[in-house]
Amino acid sequence: MNLERKILLISIVGVILASALLIHWFLLKRETKVLRVSTTTSLYATGLLDKLAEEFKKEHPNVVIQFIAVGSGEALRKASQGDADMVLVHAPGLEKEYMDKGVIIERKIFAYNYFIIVGPKDDPAGIRNLDPITAMKKIYMAGEKGLAIFVSRGDNSGTHERELFLWSMAGLNPEGKGWYKDTGSGMAQTLMVANNMPAYTLSDIGTFLKLKDKLTQLDILVSKGDIMFNIYSAYIVAKSPNRDLAREFINYLISSESQKIIGNYGVKDFGQSLFYPASSKPKSELIEAWKQLSKNSYGG
Amino acid sequence: MNFLDEVIQIVFRSLMVSGLATILATLWSIPISLFLLTTDFKYRGIVQDIFNSLVSIPTVVLGLFLYILLSRFGPLGFLGLLYTPIAISIGQAILITPLMVSVITTSLRRLKGGVWETAISLGATRLQASIVLLDEGLAQLVRSMLIGFNRAIGELGVALMVGGNIRGFTRVMTTAIALEVTRGNFELALNLGAIFLIITGTLTVVVRILGVRE
Repeated sequence: MNLERKILLISIVGVILASALLIHWFLLKRETKVLRVSTTTSLYATGLLDKLAEEFKKEHPNVVIQFIAVGSGEALRKASQGDADMVLVHAPGLEKEYMDKGVIIERKIFAYNYFIIVGPKDDPAGIRNLDPITAMKKIYMAGEKGLAIFVSRGDNSGTHERELFLWSMAGLNPEGKGWYKDTGSGMAQTLMVANNMPAYTLSDIGTFLKLKDKLTQLDILVSKGDIMFNIYSAYIVAKSPNRDLAREFINYLISSESQKIIGNYGVKDFGQSLFYPASSKPKSELIEAWKQLSKNSYGG
Repeated sequence: MNFLDEVIQIVFRSLMVSGLATILATLWSIPISLFLLTTDFKYRGIVQDIFNSLVSIPTVVLGLFLYILLSRFGPLGFLGLLYTPIAISIGQAILITPLMVSVITTSLRRLKGGVWETAISLGATRLQASIVLLDEGLAQLVRSMLIGFNRAIGELGVALMVGGNIRGFTRVMTTAIALEVTRGNFELALNLGAIFLIITGTLTVVVRILGVRE
C-alpha cells in the first residue's frame, strides 16, 4: 500500500520543517539577546524605530530588538503581562497609572512633537488658529447645530487619550452625540474617514504629513498650545529579566547620536522633521509639561 | 535590508508558517474525522455541530485566547512561545482544525458508504478499512488541506496577537499588509495583497493539476 509511504513522506517533511523552525528559533535565542519593545504605532509606523535599532545594532551585534507596534494602551497592558522588556508610549495619563502600579519604571523622555486639530477646508466651526480648548468648544457647538462632525480614534491610544483630555478641559462630553463618530481604528484610517465626511479630528503631525496627498478635504487648523504637546517616553518594565539591556537601549535613545537621528528624521521626505529630539528643550520644561498632561487619566 | 528581499522573506515565512500549521492540523484532523465518520455514539451529531460552528470563530478571539495562555505570566508562559513563528503555526493549526474536520467528514461521507462497508464486509479491521477509505479519498484530503492552508495563510488575528508582527521574525503577509495600512501606504498594501492572491491562486491551481493526475 503506497498510502503508508505517502503518509511517511508527509510526516518526514513536516518534522523537518518543524525542526528547522525550532532550531532557527533556539539559535536565535541562545546566541543573541532579545529585547522586546512594545511601542505606540505612531512612532513605529514612521520607520524611525527601525532606523534607530539598526544603528544600535552596529555597536551591539548580538542584540535583536523586536518591536511590537500597538496602541499605547495595549503596549502598557502588554508590559503588565510581562510580554515586553520596555515600552515607548505617548499617553502621560495612562503612563502615570502604570507607574503608580509599579509596572513601569525609570521614565526617560526622548522625543516630542505636537498634536494638530485637522478639519474641513471650509472650517464650518470656525476654529482656524484658535487655541485648542476654544476650538473644541466651537466644534461642540457646531456639532450640536448639525454643522460639524468630529471623528474620534476611540481605541485607548495616546491620541485618543489626548482628545478626551481636550474635551474635559473644555468642560464638555461629546459621548453619544450623533455628530461624534468613533472609528475604533488607527490614525491613518481615522484620517481617511475624516477626509471622506469631511470631519474634524485630532491627529499626530507625522501621520497627517505622510497622508497629506490623499487628505484633499482636510487642513491643519489648530497646531499651537502647550496642551497639544505630544511627549514620547521610554520606560523599563519593572519585572523584565532584561532590565539592563533595556536601560542600555534607552540610554542610547537619549544619547546625542540618536537625538540627532530623531531630529533629522523625515526632513528629506516631508520637508520638516516628524519628531523633535528631547534634547532640544530644557529637561525641566519637558518634565513639567508631562506632569501637567498626566493629571487626568483615562481608559486603562 | 533591501525592500524586495524583505517581501520575498515575508512570503516564504508565510508559506512556512502556514504550511506547518496545515501539516499539524492534518495530523489530528484525519483521526478526528475518521472517528466522527465511523463511530456511532450518542452525541455524534452534537460534536459535529460544534466543529461546524467553530469554523466561524473570529481569528482575533482565538488569537487573544492563545495570547493569554502563552503570555509570560500566563499558564503556558514558561514555554517562551509567545511572539515566535511556532506560536503562529500552532494558533493557525487550531484555527483551521474545525474547518478541516468539517470538510473531510463531508467529502469522505460520500465515499464511506461504498468503500468502508465493502472493506469491513471483506473482513478488514477498522484500521485497515480506514486506510482504504483514506487512500480512496486522497484527492479530497489534499483538497481539504488546501482549503485549510488558504484559511491559515489568509488570517490576520492569530498572527498579529501571538506573532506580534516582528520585522524579520514573525512578520507574515497579512500582518505586513495590515502594517502598511496603518502607515497609510495604501498602494503598497494593495500591491502586497495582489502578490498574496497570486501566490495562493497559483498554489491552488498547482494542487488542482496534481490532484487531477492522482
